[in-house]
Amino acid sequence: MTSDLPFRLGCDIGGTFTDFVLLNQDTGKFVVHKTLTTPIDPSEAVETGLVALQQSHNGYPGKTENVIHGTTLVINAVIERKGAATAIIATEGFRDSLEMRREIRYDIYDIGAVFPTPLVDRPFRREVPERLYSDGRVRNPLDEGAARGVLEDLAAAGIESVAVCLLHAYANPTHERAVAALAAEAHPELAISLSSDVMPEIKEFERTSTTAVNAYVKPLMARYIKRLEERLAAQGFEHGLFMMLSGGGIIAPETARQFPVRMIESGPVGGALAAAQLGRQAGLSDVVMFDMGGTTAKSCLIRDGVMPISTEYEVDRVHRFKKGSGTPVGVPTVDIIEIGAGGGSIAGIDELGLLRVGPLSAGADPGPICYGHGGAKPTVTDADLVLGYLDPGYFLGGEMSLDLTPTEAGIQKEIGEPLGFSLLQAAWGIHEVVNENMAAAIRMYVTEMGGNLADATVVAIGGAGPVHADSFARKLGVKRLIMPRGAGVYSALGFLVAPVSYENSRTSIVPLKDTNPDKLGDQFKALEDSARAVIEAAAPGADIAYARIADICYLGQGSAVRVAMPDDLDIEDIAARFADEYHARFGASYGDLDVQFVTLRVTATAQQETNAIALPFADSSENVSVALKGERMAFAPDLKEMVPHKVYAMDRLPAGARIAGPAIVEEESSTLVIARGGHADVDSRGWILVELGDPKQENDG
Amino acid sequence: MNAAAKQFDPITFQVLWSRAISIADEMATTLVKTAFSTVVRDNHDYAVAVYDAEGDLVAQANQSTPGQLFCMQRVMRDILEEYPADSLSPGDILIANDPWLGSGHTPDIFIATPTFRGEKLVGFGVTCAHHTDIGGRMAAPDAREVYEEGIIIPVSKLYDKGVPNDLLFRLIERNVRVPDRILGDLRAQMAANHFGGERIVQLLEETELERLSDLTTPIVAQTEKSMREAIAELPDGAYESRLELEREDADGNRLVIEMRLEVRGDEIFIDYAGTSPQVDLPINSVLNMTTAYTVFSIKCALHPHIPNNKGTSLPIHVSAPEGSILNPEFPAACMFRSSLIFNVVQIIFDALSNVVPEKVMAPSGTFPLWIERFGGKFDDGTPYVCGFNGQGGQGARYDKDGVTTTVFPANVSSTSVELLEVEAPLLCDRKELITDSGGPGRQRGGIAQEVVLRNLAKKPAVASLSGGRFHIAAPGMDGGGTGMHGAIQVGDDDPIPQPKQVLMGQETTITFTYPGGGGYGSPFERDPAKVLEDFRLGFVSQAEARNAYGVVIGTDGRSVDHAETAKRRAQASE
Repeated sequence: MTSDLPFRLGCDIGGTFTDFVLLNQDTGKFVVHKTLTTPIDPSEAVETGLVALQQSHNGYPGKTENVIHGTTLVINAVIERKGAATAIIATEGFRDSLEMRREIRYDIYDIGAVFPTPLVDRPFRREVPERLYSDGRVRNPLDEGAARGVLEDLAAAGIESVAVCLLHAYANPTHERAVAALAAEAHPELAISLSSDVMPEIKEFERTSTTAVNAYVKPLMARYIKRLEERLAAQGFEHGLFMMLSGGGIIAPETARQFPVRMIESGPVGGALAAAQLGRQAGLSDVVMFDMGGTTAKSCLIRDGVMPISTEYEVDRVHRFKKGSGTPVGVPTVDIIEIGAGGGSIAGIDELGLLRVGPLSAGADPGPICYGHGGAKPTVTDADLVLGYLDPGYFLGGEMSLDLTPTEAGIQKEIGEPLGFSLLQAAWGIHEVVNENMAAAIRMYVTEMGGNLADATVVAIGGAGPVHADSFARKLGVKRLIMPRGAGVYSALGFLVAPVSYENSRTSIVPLKDTNPDKLGDQFKALEDSARAVIEAAAPGADIAYARIADICYLGQGSAVRVAMPDDLDIEDIAARFADEYHARFGASYGDLDVQFVTLRVTATAQQETNAIALPFADSSENVSVALKGERMAFAPDLKEMVPHKVYAMDRLPAGARIAGPAIVEEESSTLVIARGGHADVDSRGWILVELGDPKQENDG
Repeated sequence: MNAAAKQFDPITFQVLWSRAISIADEMATTLVKTAFSTVVRDNHDYAVAVYDAEGDLVAQANQSTPGQLFCMQRVMRDILEEYPADSLSPGDILIANDPWLGSGHTPDIFIATPTFRGEKLVGFGVTCAHHTDIGGRMAAPDAREVYEEGIIIPVSKLYDKGVPNDLLFRLIERNVRVPDRILGDLRAQMAANHFGGERIVQLLEETELERLSDLTTPIVAQTEKSMREAIAELPDGAYESRLELEREDADGNRLVIEMRLEVRGDEIFIDYAGTSPQVDLPINSVLNMTTAYTVFSIKCALHPHIPNNKGTSLPIHVSAPEGSILNPEFPAACMFRSSLIFNVVQIIFDALSNVVPEKVMAPSGTFPLWIERFGGKFDDGTPYVCGFNGQGGQGARYDKDGVTTTVFPANVSSTSVELLEVEAPLLCDRKELITDSGGPGRQRGGIAQEVVLRNLAKKPAVASLSGGRFHIAAPGMDGGGTGMHGAIQVGDDDPIPQPKQVLMGQETTITFTYPGGGGYGSPFERDPAKVLEDFRLGFVSQAEARNAYGVVIGTDGRSVDHAETAKRRAQASE
């Protein structure tokens, strides 16, 4: 069956590369293309890539149903401080909230610690007389004359964008809107971001920080999206352009223009979306996405196909992997943890004489020792090569060959000798330590979420993910892992399965016992109405499903849990749901304590069908031996020695085949290691499912 | 007593160590997530650790407050003296808050949960948390004896073989102001310990580790070795330092800390002989706490990045005269021991600046800790108790300015104004940085803030005001200038001379002026461009630029008048 618009295009602008994935929905086949990012005008690289894809798919733009776009532009503008000339208008007496932060240290012993420079310079953090009480009542009305004067000054000083962040504006946006109206009247050229629109939630520092980020990138993103639309039109694209959000939904460009901060982590979401859809196809309840690339590993726990959403996110960390050292951004974000553990992570000996791996990375240049580009420090990829998991002659599908001899010498010198280890012990040490780092991070993350990994399956993607997945999974007590075809580029596919979806929120602190269900219904209805406008702009005419969620806690508690609301908003039912959710997370709940709402949320999602994406394996009556490439020695962790591993070519595997460990399955973009005792089933739908098994039960027959 | 410890290959050892730390971190997460007390969840005023069956600390969580962190090192051994290991059964839970056993004041309650694998005791999950209230005179800043500071719970069983100690629960419930929250936080501690216990058993089942003590020994040895190496890099020598405090004894004499720090080989000996006798004020610091901050300061300067356990303390020997403010005898009052003990950081850094000036920090305006407490009623009669934290400026570093309004050496976050106004009928009139509050220096001291709080309720609020550097500002280091003084003013009254409790009527305001950090190095060596930038940002006034830094700002207000600046700086150095 063919359609008029068979193609969907995903496009992700990264720091180094702009990635494209072009999917033919009729055949389920896709191609991946990479081009160098062009930092000055990133839409230029997009155009280059679009043109290049014409070579293999002539005329595809006119046959493309939609283009889904994600970008690191927003986050890079913040990190590199390349945003607009931005000002803040605050309540009189509170302009320094952005600079004072939470007044806490992120490292208790490090007296040399530094903090991010405030995004908005102090002379441009201005104040207006006005004041609200915490319930939204007006204590002092807005001094409009003063507000006009401030706007006048800012415009005269060349300010392009203004974040209006007034105290308790989440409870009553009137004063902020009045400032916006004054600005629109006198200075329509100013881009305005209101905290009551961007993040109508309590806590002034977090809300101000988020609104400031939005203001800081707003003019830049507006210009960029305009250029992108022009280039797409010039290339012959006639249909929908969608922007990827950090929360895993896609929306129309107009919404992204208003709230660019929502796109801040749009890139990493791809892996989670792709893993979630794989989990749904394979019928898995709990999925641990494990995406290990060159510099970092990312992980995320997906339960029943639902990605975890957090609104406590941080960008621009001074210490990249230290919580609290960055700029808070309180917009819905898929809760993905990232640690400095990738193929390029450098191994060394620390001040305690212990082996440490990462977070420093050798990057692409000079890269690991085995690249032969002058790298002298051993990396994870070097260790994987020495352990026999990587084939020196078949890296990136043979595009690059790896040099074993200097790699062995480097590991021996830098790690083996100082620790008194053999070469293999040193290489295994690197592999094991990096896996433990990742496992420790995900254990902590799962504890924070109150999750449980007993029935989970690891979805291993990224170039290095499937190489490390066996040991990573074992450390988490997980017994199964899946490697999809195209694992190395799998995250790019995620964009193509993203739904049109948007979350709106508003703080409303009310004890549950004082809650009137009708009024609560009205509040949710208002959130639904504003979310509907966003969805209809992106998916006109689509049916919309609304999920009502409330952040609820015990009275006086600081940390709320997200609770799905029943349709009838019955208070007792809500209390019971909260108790269940709380119990699931923390192992107890307390009937004698009062409960309160903190923030109400609505997620609106357009109900549209998306086809599952997969590269199926050929059905065949052939034996697995048709895919056998040969045999090589690789490290068996249980025996602590090199043993022969059968090596298979992934693209030649017949559906339904079974592979017994120890074995290695190779494809262009990644390599799967199956340890002794493990059994892998080749699923016709496009993945390999490995039951890890117990090496002690291994029968070498 | 110990059977020969099992030897691990270094990688296995390292992975096991990492897992033990990760258990403590996960326990801490559970505690913070389930705690009711803002002191726990926002101030991180807690500590969490995993112990082996002998009561030795295996690993502790990274994010917590230093005093409790270091006090954890010996608390389990002390608890086991009261309840020997062989007297414990599955389902037992121990509790204590005796300041002399734990971390030096009554609100810090320790909960220790023995962990069993089958019938065999394999270790302990322990949490210490600062509770919102523990009874007594609501953290009275003028308490004379510990009896005024709430109930003291000697080491007791809160649960005996799974059965709750009803008497103890009822006693606590009847003696505290907000029993729901206190019991809620005790439950949070028990939940965290329980979680830790499960993880300990899991660790033993999944790995080749048979006893946690097989891990403790090499962890402590490796940490100790590394700490000793760091100390050995210092030249041998003795350094004496004396610090006069603004708090006074009953005769009106200022309290004094005297210290002698001697580096001898790979060990450091610290003696506080000459320090003032204990006082009838709630600021005495028990020896546990004194040792905690002494070791903390040395670790910060010499070896900040290694994990903390007994190994960090072993090469450091601390002594303080019995009956002194740094080693008081029962029943000394000690609720606000932090206002005294943080000075230990200053005196140690002062001594170490003789040998490692690049590794220490000038005195901060962030100690004593400013934790204000309010209690009263909303107009509808609902009672409330709440806290407000704010910070002054940190001291300057050798090569960096002091951090603006950020806590040190404790680690507590500030109170969100919006949250405060929801939780209590208080209103914040303003919260802003103060020009010229950072001590001048080659590196400028951290900037401080001013906060004004107002009582909206008809009922007066009881405000327990704590703070300091009212009379002695944070001095500079190596020629740096002092930071601005702190002050607390009720309405338009004169600043209060000492921390105290006051009644705050409707629409009465209290103004908190937090102290600035001390500068590091001569302000005349500061790059004039940096002074100009501070002027542009409003951190330094034109007059301060001229007078303290010798930098003349040009008439356009945007440039440095280099000629005039050179002249001024030359004059000053004559």
